[in-house]
Amino acid sequence: MAQITRNLILIWSMLCIFQIQFAFGQDKFVLNGNVKDQATGEAMIKAVIRIEELPSLGVLSNEYGFYAIALPKGKYTVVVSQLGYEKYKEQVRLDSNLNLTILLRSANTLKEVVVESGRKNDNLLKPQMGTETLNLNAISKVPVIFGEKDILKTLQLLPGVKSAGEGNSGFYVRGGAADQNLILLDEAPVYNASHLLGFFSTFNSDAIKDATLIKGNSPAQYGGRLSSVLDVKMKEGNNQDFNVNGGLGLISSRLSIEGPLQKEKSSFILSGRRTYADIFLRASDEFKDNVLYFYDLNMKANYKIDEKNKLFISGYFGRDELGLGDTFGIDWGNKTGTIRWNRIVSSRLFSNTSLIYSDYNYNVKLKNGLSNFNINSNIKDLNLKQDYTFYLNPKNTLRFGFNSILHTISPSTFSGTVINSNPKSGRNALENALYISNYYKASDNLSLDYGMRLSTYSLMGGDAYNIYENDMLVNTIRLDNQSFGKTYINPEPRMTANYRVTDQTSIKAGYARNVQHLHLLSNSTASSPSDQWIGNSYNIKPEIADQLSVGFVQGWKNNSYELSTELYYKNLQNQLDYKDGAEIFTLADVESALLFGVGRAYGLELLWKKKEGMLTGWVSYTLSKTERKITGINQNNWYNARQDRTHDIAVVGVYTLNSRWSISSVFVYNTGDAVTFPTGKYSIQGQTLYQYASRNGNRMPTNHRMDLSVTYDKKRKKRIQESWNFSLYNVYGRENAFQINFQDDPKDLSRTQIIQTSLFRWVPSVTYQFKF
Amino acid sequence: MLKKYFSTILIGIFLLGCEKEIQLPLDPNQSLLVIDGSITDEAGPYYIKLSKSTGISEASNFLAVTGALVIVKDNLGIIDTLKHEKGGSYKTSKLKGSYGNTYYLEVQVADKRYTANATMPQKVALDSLRINPIPINNEIRYNVIPVYADPIQLGNSYRFIQKINDTLDQTFHVFNDNLNNGKVNQRPLRGGSDSLEVKLKDIVDVEMQCITRPVYLYFYTLYQQSGAGPGGGTTPSNPPTNIIGGALGIFSAHTVQRKQIQIK
Repeated sequence: MAQITRNLILIWSMLCIFQIQFAFGQDKFVLNGNVKDQATGEAMIKAVIRIEELPSLGVLSNEYGFYAIALPKGKYTVVVSQLGYEKYKEQVRLDSNLNLTILLRSANTLKEVVVESGRKNDNLLKPQMGTETLNLNAISKVPVIFGEKDILKTLQLLPGVKSAGEGNSGFYVRGGAADQNLILLDEAPVYNASHLLGFFSTFNSDAIKDATLIKGNSPAQYGGRLSSVLDVKMKEGNNQDFNVNGGLGLISSRLSIEGPLQKEKSSFILSGRRTYADIFLRASDEFKDNVLYFYDLNMKANYKIDEKNKLFISGYFGRDELGLGDTFGIDWGNKTGTIRWNRIVSSRLFSNTSLIYSDYNYNVKLKNGLSNFNINSNIKDLNLKQDYTFYLNPKNTLRFGFNSILHTISPSTFSGTVINSNPKSGRNALENALYISNYYKASDNLSLDYGMRLSTYSLMGGDAYNIYENDMLVNTIRLDNQSFGKTYINPEPRMTANYRVTDQTSIKAGYARNVQHLHLLSNSTASSPSDQWIGNSYNIKPEIADQLSVGFVQGWKNNSYELSTELYYKNLQNQLDYKDGAEIFTLADVESALLFGVGRAYGLELLWKKKEGMLTGWVSYTLSKTERKITGINQNNWYNARQDRTHDIAVVGVYTLNSRWSISSVFVYNTGDAVTFPTGKYSIQGQTLYQYASRNGNRMPTNHRMDLSVTYDKKRKKRIQESWNFSLYNVYGRENAFQINFQDDPKDLSRTQIIQTSLFRWVPSVTYQFKF
Repeated sequence: MLKKYFSTILIGIFLLGCEKEIQLPLDPNQSLLVIDGSITDEAGPYYIKLSKSTGISEASNFLAVTGALVIVKDNLGIIDTLKHEKGGSYKTSKLKGSYGNTYYLEVQVADKRYTANATMPQKVALDSLRINPIPINNEIRYNVIPVYADPIQLGNSYRFIQKINDTLDQTFHVFNDNLNNGKVNQRPLRGGSDSLEVKLKDIVDVEMQCITRPVYLYFYTLYQQSGAGPGGGTTPSNPPTNIIGGALGIFSAHTVQRKQIQIK
């Protein structure tokens, strides 16, 4: 692997030199501007801008809808396409630099597809690998549990993405753990993307524009997690007109308001959501003290300072409350805030500066009569990002910039009358990254995206750092508040290439190294809000993943059908786990209970899509293997990671009967999770204990399920648009195993019985949505 | 602790869970020697029990191991060769358990040798049992708090065995003083989902053991592994033991105190 890395670095630097020489000495003018939705003014991301007269050229609008293309003097026809929008065509005469705002008109909604990647044959053009974009309008028809449309649950229907459990919004990508996904909400990292122990995601679909998932081969501007990047963008708000949008569901309700602050110049959106199961509970005697709810608020505003400068402010606030009377309570939540400044520095240079704040904390309260006991934990980030897009020439688009994050991590701290106060001072760290990448359109058929990210992580003052060798404490390092300790430096080369064989066929290949400096410590088999984040230290080294992948895309019938295939192999270093019996809450230093090792994951992913017609949808299949080898676990042998599943199948279909009625269905089938079942039993002090052999050598029973949903869009009355969604989760009432326990049979204590618990048979739901 | 609450709340809310007995294809078991031995500060004799583990689908009639050589020595030089009594139980004849002493166990079965040692910790007095009522959802639940003053020195570990109306509570209750060193205990014996509920008029018997660190780790690991599901148990494995040689089980030297209380 090291050899590959060195070679890639060499190739990369050679290409860079070559590019720069090639770039100069041509006399050109620049056509640039923004691509927007005509009705709402929302920026259009990744629209394809082409020049009819020069078919080999093509650029994509960036995350803010900005594009630029340098062309020789002349007359051109600009063609812009974006899936779900009508094709845009305009004649321009270029004899000086020209600013052209492109307004796209929404196409007939019948043509919407759920998973799109921009233009119809876009997947054939772009060098990105393992990338899927979910459009929020379109996923509204896919059935989900409790009728809550949810991007994280829809993502789990794509190849290479596995759910962390039934009804759970947690996900694993290509064998990575749940904490190896970088989840960004308007660039701010979200540390816990789930509500209500995973049954809901923190993303209120009313406030979200779209979400892009990159499975390991991310461009160099992203970094910090091994497995994937989920880049979620909030809506900007309609800058033409005021709109109120809402939904009433069985579990929760939503309301959002958007509109212009100054017409066509600035806009805002405010969106809120709250569950209300607790209101029903309070009415019942049996559960009146059970507390269980969450709420979240999304807010975003943008302001156009002038033609060249635009400011965005966005924020998220979410909170979960769970409790049992006065006795027990836990609450947790994320806060994020982003201020962004888009600037067109010159006709070819686009700049974005972001200042980002992110905070995740949880609090546990336990009370017993007069005594009480609390646990608090918190992770806070202050993040500065500077990103440049430089449209060097029609063949090269450069991306470069830096990212600097100050982390403040306070692990579980205890307080209360029951215990000794033992305040921990938390740890600080500075994470920096420098990156440069180039999107190079080498020829009509070949495009490359290659780059380098250099990430560093410096330990800073705060709590003491202990160093362990062979389980023995050998040294303790205390750093002053302002001083730096060890710095980890990691180069992360990235490269993807796409070769278009024919108009309907392309092949892709990619390599990427990702480095992760923050780690989630979890000793439970399911995600829990009390899982702790910890940064690198003297014992904990950055996690490293090297991923190699190759792909093949084939379209049929003018690309209305598409089959994409990808193969990947991933090598993981410096993986973490706990020792058996580790007291993760009460240990003075949790690092003394950690074990380290390596991992590997490989698989085949198939995605067959039907993109047009009355019936749209996809079939996805994943064949994969994920293993870990950790010193101190499973006699130091390889074992299946918990998220290892051999087969995963998802079938999604949306059938549009007419402009009012549509029916959709989801079918999923997968191998059970890797688990450890006992092989034997014995008795100690009168209690039956179980004997275990290899770790995760067994399987939960196979899971499968079908969901159905029907959507009725009422005829628009004046301004009011209403729709009803009826859905049935688990149509044929399959009892999928949620947990399996071994116990003594109460009727015959000498016999061991295996008890399976399943949740969610036939969950019906109704959601009413309105917009005016 | 937390996971118990999570499951209580979740199962209470969703009420959709359904349980049934199933059959699973399971791996064959490698039968191992199981050593279950304790030396306490109560009057002897003390017993070391030897048995073999059995496959999960077989009946729990654990094969007793007879004909083994079992020796316990202490740091005062007493060497006690245990006599097989019945059903794999080996009995001491001269050893006297008291705190501060270290006990060395040696077991020889066929040509395999197993060893373990344990130093009996100092006794911490169990002062009383206190009833802790918890009113939730129009009913009052109860649990019992063992009242004892943890000594100033860090590193005390305790195990509590609770019987409710003579039925053993299957939860492993083990405490240490990581957080409340030197304080009077206020932590109750919280029932897990697999334990019995304590109701009004019940008679609760609590045995308090001052245990060694390896014994704590053994039972704490078992406690963590119990219960799966949301926020649930850790991936199970055989708990770390102080027995060297590849046997299952644990060798403990601990003090014993008992108290009883009626819930009212």
